[in-house]
Amino acid sequence: MSLGYIVRRLLGAIPLLFGISLILFTIVHLAPGGPLDVYVDNPSVSKEALDQIAKAYGLDQPVPVQYVLWLKSMLVGDWGYSIRTGRPVLSEIVLRLGPTMELGGLALLLSLLIAIPLGIISASRRGSKLDGTLTLVSFAGISTPVFWLALLLQLLFSVHLGWLPSAGYKSIGDGSFPDRLAHIVMPAAVLSLATIASWSRFIRSGMVDVLNQDYIRTAYAKGRGERGVVFFHALRNALIPAVTVIAVDFGTVISGAVITETVFAWPGIGRLFMESMDGRDYPMLMGLMMMGSVGIIVANIVADLTYAALDPRIRYG
Amino acid sequence: MTLKLTRRATLKGMLAGTAAFATIGLLPAWAQQKGGTLTVGLTYEIDTMNVYSTGFLGDAQAAVVEGLLAPDKDAKYVPVLATEVPTIENGGIVVSEDGKTMKITYKLRPGVTWHDGKPFTSADVKYTWEAVKDEKFIAESKDGSAEVASIDTPDELTAVVNYNTILPTFASTLFTFGIFPKHLLEGTDLNTSSYNETPVGTGPFKVTEFQRGQYVVTERYDGYWKKAENGDALPYLDKLIFKMIPDTNTLITQLKSGEVNLVVQTPYSQAKQVEGIDDIELIKGPLLSWQHLDFNFKRPSLADIAVRKAIAAGIDRNVLIKAQGGFPEAIKSPVVPVFEFYDPNTPEVAYDPAAAAKLLDDAGYVVGADGIRAKGDEKLSYTFMVQAGRADDELAQQVIIAQLKAIGIEATADNKTGVAYREARYNGGYDLIYGRWITSADPVYSVFWGTGGANNGQSYSNPTLDAAFQKFENTLDPAVRKDAAIEFQKILAEELPTISLTTNVALIAKTKKLKNFVPNPTNMTNFVDTAAWYME
Amino acid sequence: MVDSTIEAIATTPPQSYGRRALKRFLKRPMAVLGLAFLVLLALIVIFGPLISPYSFDGQDFSLIGSPGPMTAEHWLGTDELGRDALTRLIYGGRVSLAVGLAGAIISTLVGTVVGAFAGFYRGWTDTLLMRFTDVMLSIPTLPLVLLLSGLFRPGPVLLVAIVGTLIWMGTARLVRSQFMALREREFVEAARALGAGGFRLMFRHILPTAIGPITVAATLAVGSAIMLESALSFLGFGIQPPVPTWGNLLNSASSWLSVAPWLAIPPGLCILFTVLSVNFLGDGLRDALEPKE
Repeated sequence: MSLGYIVRRLLGAIPLLFGISLILFTIVHLAPGGPLDVYVDNPSVSKEALDQIAKAYGLDQPVPVQYVLWLKSMLVGDWGYSIRTGRPVLSEIVLRLGPTMELGGLALLLSLLIAIPLGIISASRRGSKLDGTLTLVSFAGISTPVFWLALLLQLLFSVHLGWLPSAGYKSIGDGSFPDRLAHIVMPAAVLSLATIASWSRFIRSGMVDVLNQDYIRTAYAKGRGERGVVFFHALRNALIPAVTVIAVDFGTVISGAVITETVFAWPGIGRLFMESMDGRDYPMLMGLMMMGSVGIIVANIVADLTYAALDPRIRYG
Repeated sequence: MTLKLTRRATLKGMLAGTAAFATIGLLPAWAQQKGGTLTVGLTYEIDTMNVYSTGFLGDAQAAVVEGLLAPDKDAKYVPVLATEVPTIENGGIVVSEDGKTMKITYKLRPGVTWHDGKPFTSADVKYTWEAVKDEKFIAESKDGSAEVASIDTPDELTAVVNYNTILPTFASTLFTFGIFPKHLLEGTDLNTSSYNETPVGTGPFKVTEFQRGQYVVTERYDGYWKKAENGDALPYLDKLIFKMIPDTNTLITQLKSGEVNLVVQTPYSQAKQVEGIDDIELIKGPLLSWQHLDFNFKRPSLADIAVRKAIAAGIDRNVLIKAQGGFPEAIKSPVVPVFEFYDPNTPEVAYDPAAAAKLLDDAGYVVGADGIRAKGDEKLSYTFMVQAGRADDELAQQVIIAQLKAIGIEATADNKTGVAYREARYNGGYDLIYGRWITSADPVYSVFWGTGGANNGQSYSNPTLDAAFQKFENTLDPAVRKDAAIEFQKILAEELPTISLTTNVALIAKTKKLKNFVPNPTNMTNFVDTAAWYME
Repeated sequence: MVDSTIEAIATTPPQSYGRRALKRFLKRPMAVLGLAFLVLLALIVIFGPLISPYSFDGQDFSLIGSPGPMTAEHWLGTDELGRDALTRLIYGGRVSLAVGLAGAIISTLVGTVVGAFAGFYRGWTDTLLMRFTDVMLSIPTLPLVLLLSGLFRPGPVLLVAIVGTLIWMGTARLVRSQFMALREREFVEAARALGAGGFRLMFRHILPTAIGPITVAATLAVGSAIMLESALSFLGFGIQPPVPTWGNLLNSASSWLSVAPWLAIPPGLCILFTVLSVNFLGDGLRDALEPKE
């Protein structure tokens, strides 16, 4: 995989992002109402006051002009200003990105660490009771409403057992590693649930396919003391299809973060999104959606590169 | 003016009524203990600590930043950074000879210091007006700044505010929200200033940490000016922490686990759970807010007083109250009973479905085959709007729909959100509308039902009513205002452009250890007077 | 006509395909169980509201205020407006299943058409459609649905349309790859040689052969749509009351969870078991319709 390939993929992402920005901008600006909606209940706000605020945020310009202005601020500026807080969108997002990366990163790590062994065990004992049970459990994992599970977990671990804090990023005046670990356990577990379940399924089926192939069967049949090596080889081949799924699931993690962060009062970008929804903070919503899209595109590029790294037959030139 | 701009968004979740059922102990002189930390759970995220630009009511802000005046627990203005509330009697208010303008003199409290130790002076008052009025400052609340022509500061402790009009509601605006520290802010850009996260005020608590999306920590300010009656230095609490927890289920879980010990906006539906928590008690705090059903007079049948009366008689407020956990209280006037302008003799239409049916029968609205009444082409079938997504409003709406059905009137939910809702409300894009307003301690009502009033989307016009509003809103004379108030309440109750249904209450869940907590009904929130709170 | 005989030969899989698929399907007990559960559920939600003595929005004023316990009259208790919880659960199931089915149908239609055109015509059509698919795939789904339903406040019909038009991309890619592989096959060539036009080739000849994977994708989409609706309802952007869905029932009951768990547990379990059944069914169909031979 050459540098040239990476550069070409990144260049290819530009028209993609342009398309995304057009679609999002159109949606946001076609919607009835606008950010000034938050004044909807105020009996005393005058039309003049509204006009003035609209002007301050450039909302009085024609939509195409607004788009160009916005695009410019995305490219060379601070992504515009949040209507809710008056601060630059970019710095607000950067501020909230850290907690989300921690949560998402831990959830992805947990998913891999749990899903791979589960998938392998299931595949190697295909058709057994254990396989059946694991299948049932992973399907149940995909099928459980996340927020419902979160609620039950909070009741169990925070209220009844008192082991874990029910929400938040850290204790006030603390923030030590154990303290933060205690805070992140439940949200990360909830967030990883669906991905653990679906990835273990994919790894299982990948393993089953590989294990059924002739060369593996031959290797097993010969019964040489290289089973471990063969098994590792099989695993490597089984991971290849799974990698694509993992990249696609990056979007699932982002979606999951919106719910998880809301339930657990986690100060990440998922919650920032919900707050901005309430405040109809257009510049912030646009920034966040673009951010999420960039994340998904990057995840896909990384997946393709990993794909190449795992499968020596694939070479991107 | 009615309902502060800035103080709007929380009202969404806010519920309302009067009278506390938990006893609020009256200062046993020995018991106040210094120290302790109180952790407050908020369901919204604090956007900015600047009182003039926040989109919320400003709970945390009120503990940090003080104004010249503040409304007390009875919604009466009391002096804070001023030494007295200006009135005509004490010479604080002087009306010009032509009766068109006024001049208000504030005597400022000596010995008050900002959290950085610098003294508070009249220059700060003048700067506050200049800063808020500045067009470049994007504020959600600039009320009252345009009416000020100039401010004189003859000495450090006197501010003379020259108004370009008569503004009876002056106390509910500008200087009440808070005063800016001139020495720190002059020449800075208020839109981006660090003041918006760590404001320097004169209040009992100072901000020591602001974590976006997480919490705001405030600690006691040792140089606070106020002393307790027994001479104790105030405030008692060491720390007042505001945690932001957007999901109400999680918030209640935090109450249960003791991670939060004060919640000022408990949803009605969570009250039962909260009552079951040890160490937590539920207080019903009054609010200057009420729930109402309004009519669109463009519908011929709704312009018919018989139909409006029948609807009024067909709604059982008790069921509405029960549906909201039994917390709101029935009212008959939009002037909620906590106000002195409330007239207890306002006539009311009692719940009586039989009488409602008879009224409609007599007026010629006969029940059709589908159970819905009609007279000629005009069928008593209405679109009914509330703001979509507000659980409490949608709940009340469902109850009202069921009750109207019982008297042969069909109402169909047609809920809207955002600007669609706003436009429908202002332009009368509904037949029936249900909602709740909250007001400051000094409200005006002509915006709702005056001819051409800003919030009169009902196409309702009544010259007699307009005259009464006019009298009420353009004089400083309390006796004249009281008479006018009685008059307009009577007209509203008889003409029924609106049916005032119930009050709203704030359900406050607090730890039993917290003492001296006094609910505040106004848009200045419960945190306007935190200095005397202490933990047992 | 000669044409039609060739067509019959070309499109009809060997007679035994259906029977073999059925046989394979029946070997998957969980899939059969899932199907049985869904059939039973469908019967309940279709006929339940007709049998129930209560209507989904009928309030018992004497019970208003807080949830009522489980009694002989109200098997699952009543909600805070005195409405029968079981009736609402069943009616909510009707709405949730309808959302799931309609969402799946829309997404399958859109995905199939996009994928078919891209895979069949290739070239510019393919590039254009697939770039568009990439764009849609790159926008995080839940936030986009939230944005749309938050900004437009859709009614049930529009909401279903939104859900359906945002989960079609996987199907489109799948159908495209199927079409790319199939368009070169002999039976297609044969039909083409006999003068069949593009549409005819696509929808009469190729599509039936690709129906297996499409069915599987459609089945799984039902589950996705139900989950998406419940997530929307939890965040307050789903179908508006008084119309119940499992999602908004669960959401409103969760505030009563420790006071009246009998209200919050059933809708959660209903979502869980329904989506579980759908997933098992999809899994079984995959094995039955796309045997790895």
